[in-house]
Amino acid sequence: MGTEAPFKGSIPEFDYQKEMDRWANVVKLLSEPEPKVAQTPRTEVWRKNKSVLWHYPAKQKKYEIPLFFVYSLFNKPYILDIDPKKSVIKNLTEMGYEVYLLDWGTPGYEDKKIGIDTYVEKYLKTAVKRALRHSEAEEISLVGYCLGGTIASIYASVAEEPIKNLIVATVPIDFSTFVGPEKWVEGLQSGDINIDHFLDVYGVVPPKYVELMFRAIGSPIYFTNYTMLLNRAHDSRYVEKWRRMNKWTQDQVPFAGEAYKQFVNELIIGNKLIKGELVVGKKAADLKNILANLFVVSGSRDNLVLEEQSKPIMDLVSSEDKTYVCVDSGHVGLALSGLLAEIVDQWASSRSNRLF
Amino acid sequence: MSGKKPYDPVESFHELSLLWEKQINDFINHWTANKDFIKMSNAGTEINSRYLEAFKKNQETLASVLNLPTKNDIANIASLTVQAEEKIEALEEQILDLQDSMKSQTREIESIVDISKEIIKLTKQLKTELVKTKKEQIKTKELKAELQEMKLELKKLTNFKEEFESLKGLLEKDKEVERELADSGTSK
Repeated sequence: MGTEAPFKGSIPEFDYQKEMDRWANVVKLLSEPEPKVAQTPRTEVWRKNKSVLWHYPAKQKKYEIPLFFVYSLFNKPYILDIDPKKSVIKNLTEMGYEVYLLDWGTPGYEDKKIGIDTYVEKYLKTAVKRALRHSEAEEISLVGYCLGGTIASIYASVAEEPIKNLIVATVPIDFSTFVGPEKWVEGLQSGDINIDHFLDVYGVVPPKYVELMFRAIGSPIYFTNYTMLLNRAHDSRYVEKWRRMNKWTQDQVPFAGEAYKQFVNELIIGNKLIKGELVVGKKAADLKNILANLFVVSGSRDNLVLEEQSKPIMDLVSSEDKTYVCVDSGHVGLALSGLLAEIVDQWASSRSNRLF
Repeated sequence: MSGKKPYDPVESFHELSLLWEKQINDFINHWTANKDFIKMSNAGTEINSRYLEAFKKNQETLASVLNLPTKNDIANIASLTVQAEEKIEALEEQILDLQDSMKSQTREIESIVDISKEIIKLTKQLKTELVKTKKEQIKTKELKAELQEMKLELKKLTNFKEEFESLKGLLEKDKEVERELADSGTSK
């Protein structure tokens, strides 16, 4: 005997399958270990202190000039090799490039005196030399991501090594525009906030503090990533992407005290890179010394490094061949989606001496 | 199916959470974005640093009395290790530079050896050519002698021809004399 519900049609239906998928994925997420990262085959070329130079061989070498990646001191090196399907490094090796990555390592209390100049002079410079020797190439392409781009630009302005191409993505160069609460930036620039003593005592900035700093810039209270996950947990692909993104944003490294001091005092407050007043070793790190072909990539949805922070480098270098692109991506998405590999290939393929 | 979007309880919760997060963050930003708060937080950081510094000093004093190594001692040892590593690296660089220069020298020597081989090959070729030329010269001399001989023979032949011609002339003269004698006999 069939009866008809009186409110049928007026009450929205409940998607049982979607709910089953959602909660199954939530249980899976809570019970499974963290996603595996940095899975592209690699070999160690050089090691110093905690830093390691990794070589990722090309699947089938098509270009003579290798790519040398410099990533941010705030992150871990796997950000460029986070997802086996969308890994920036893996995709580039499959496109025929020999790839090198300088892993900065995790600084400890004993590394408190390592400044940005030390990183450039004693680590990056030597690593580039070793990569050149290892690859037997005559020239090299530098690829810098985020603060890694700033460090790569500083190095390129004092380098004696043959740098053919300089590629920088989501790079902060001009710190006169800075993301964050306006009054805090003013306080920092006027000297109302001084963290030198704090850094001297702590030696290195603990990773939790680094994470809190990023939180303070954007959203001090942040929980919608979890509600967003719950909302889209029925989609396994989204859950997988979320896990990797969450790992990235929460997995910070300590920042060496001296380097942090230089970052705040010379780059953020002094804005010395733009003014050409930054000194590395005994050399002036003036961007006008850069003659290498330049490629700058910005993300239109990047809310950490603004387009206005990257663009000024275009007018400051002496390069004849320079290109600027702004792609539809966020700060993390550019590397997480693997889009960076495609963009780099499009520009670098004609500038990397094709072998056949 | 009614054709309506299925009811999703989490979606409305997420939308609410976005609103709450924004409101809380706006409140925090409003609360903290002023000079007084900045100065206060700076003072707080300074107090924290001083407290930690004093604590570390006391810890160092106590550790030295107890004859225990501290984090600073370990950091000092670590920096010594890094220094040693840098020295080894400098040596390694020098060795690699030496290897490079040796490689380039070897390449230069190899190119010199290659050139020398070419020269030896060329000399040998020249020597063979010289021997050939000498042989040809001897042959040419022989040919020249033969030619001289032939020339002499030809000269002799020319003389013979001349003698033959003179003999022919004499014979013709004799024939003419005989003819005249015959003519004179018939006329008588």
